[in-house]
Amino acid sequence: MTSIAVTEAWAEAPMRAFVDDARVQLAVLLHTSGQVLAQHGFGKRMDVMSACALAAAIHASASELGRMLDGKPFSGLHYAGRRKQIFLGVAETRRGPFLLLTVFDENASLGLVQLYFGEFRARLSTAAPEPAKDTTPLNEHFEGELNRNLSALFGRS
Amino acid sequence: MRASPFAELLAALIRQRGVTGALVVSEADGIVVDANVSIGLKAEVLAALSASLYRRARLAAAAAGYGEATFLQLEAAQGRICAVGRSDLVLVAVTEPGANVGLVRMEMLKGLQGGALG
Amino acid sequence: MSDDIARLSEALARDPASLAFIELAEALRKRGDVEVATKVALRGLERHPHLGAAHDVLARLYADAGDLERAFDEWDMVLRFTPGHAGALKGLGFVRFHQGQLAEAERWLAQAAAADPADERNLGALAYVRQQLGTAAAPDAAAPPAEARAAASGHRATGTMGARELFADILGAEKGMALLLDEHGLVMAGGHEVDGRDVGQEVGAQLDSVGEEAERAMRHLGLGAWTSIVFETEQSTVAMAPGPENSLMLVSASRATPVGFVRRMLERSLQRAGRFLGGGR
Repeated sequence: MTSIAVTEAWAEAPMRAFVDDARVQLAVLLHTSGQVLAQHGFGKRMDVMSACALAAAIHASASELGRMLDGKPFSGLHYAGRRKQIFLGVAETRRGPFLLLTVFDENASLGLVQLYFGEFRARLSTAAPEPAKDTTPLNEHFEGELNRNLSALFGRS
Repeated sequence: MRASPFAELLAALIRQRGVTGALVVSEADGIVVDANVSIGLKAEVLAALSASLYRRARLAAAAAGYGEATFLQLEAAQGRICAVGRSDLVLVAVTEPGANVGLVRMEMLKGLQGGALG
Repeated sequence: MSDDIARLSEALARDPASLAFIELAEALRKRGDVEVATKVALRGLERHPHLGAAHDVLARLYADAGDLERAFDEWDMVLRFTPGHAGALKGLGFVRFHQGQLAEAERWLAQAAAADPADERNLGALAYVRQQLGTAAAPDAAAPPAEARAAASGHRATGTMGARELFADILGAEKGMALLLDEHGLVMAGGHEVDGRDVGQEVGAQLDSVGEEAERAMRHLGLGAWTSIVFETEQSTVAMAPGPENSLMLVSASRATPVGFVRRMLERSLQRAGRFLGGGR
């Protein structure tokens, strides 16, 4: 069974379905602030930390660029390397927007990732509970939250 | 505005009785290059999945020592998918169950041999 | 004879679930009404699919009609329900003899001889086949081979023949392949020999992924469940279909073989696989 590490249980089922269907190598679901909710395929704590920081930064830049060029933020990003490809998409929920960063190889394709990302968005939106007032991540608590999340995701290694 | 280089090929295919969709898809990306499909058929979904199926069959056939795949036909309870490929492009046709698959196959291979996919 | 047929017909009309259909089909067969007898047997088998005696009658009807492959399949069924059934063993030997496969005919007839040593006609047939094979003086002429002992003691015929040869007669002279894979892509029956080495597992593992891909595609395309995939390659035509118990049936033949014939091979292999896995008719 596909291994999914989560800090919030409601994110597990949509993540698992996405990883199983799209057959991606890596996937991480994060808040736009960089806070991790679920991940698959990352072996090291540092990897996921870096990936989340970069994904959040890329999303912020792309959104701003989209607003400047197109009047609205870009909602998806794709980069094709020689052997691996990256896809970053935004999923709106009642808890606010979340980012899905995924890395795939020739076992998947952009078309498949987009197809299953569409399903993922719908599942995540359905699964997301009503926001609790005290769980919204605050920027000043970001690092502490991130470390707690990483501990949950990788144990206390 | 210039017509797509595949428009003629797709039109010839969709004219066949029972053909409900014809697409040219990028095999590696699973993205629609050009499509001529009936209302209700989701070209993007079809492109992603049929390209992936064709790619898997092509790679499996080669790995199993059968050589390059030339024509694929998937039969399902409510229709068929036919695919031929060349140079990272896959020509896909979706048909109703009763369609004459022999004619569809011939048309697709004719397109392939005529260099329509490059 | 006519009285018997009338009596049995009446019995069957009174109670359509009665087993009188077996006797009636046999009586009709003996009278030469093969077509009617076949209908009676097939109708009876719809109600009683696990009756070895009914499959035996049907096998003989097919043999009478010259449909040796179906006869073979029916006798094969008989052995599933009645292991060591002498009539079925003899019938299988008969089919193989008529197909010129003397070595296999000899094996079946030897098993029949072990199951019913008093059947002199069978012993005569066995001696004839051995003579044709030039093995009259072979050590196993007197002692039944291991297969015969196994069959007589009640092992499944397919087990004694070996799962590897399950589809051999369907492939016939085709230099092709027939493989039955389980849900994990492992070969359950059939084989594929290349240069004297069985590469069935390697080929099966590669092609199994195509079935998985089809499964995934069908969840989204609204075309219902997939029933078969045929792909033509430079050298071969490969066909596959989902089988019972999440299995996958694969067959291949040379490119020269008509695609329709490959599909027919696939259908027949699927039927055989169903029986092999105990799925009934």
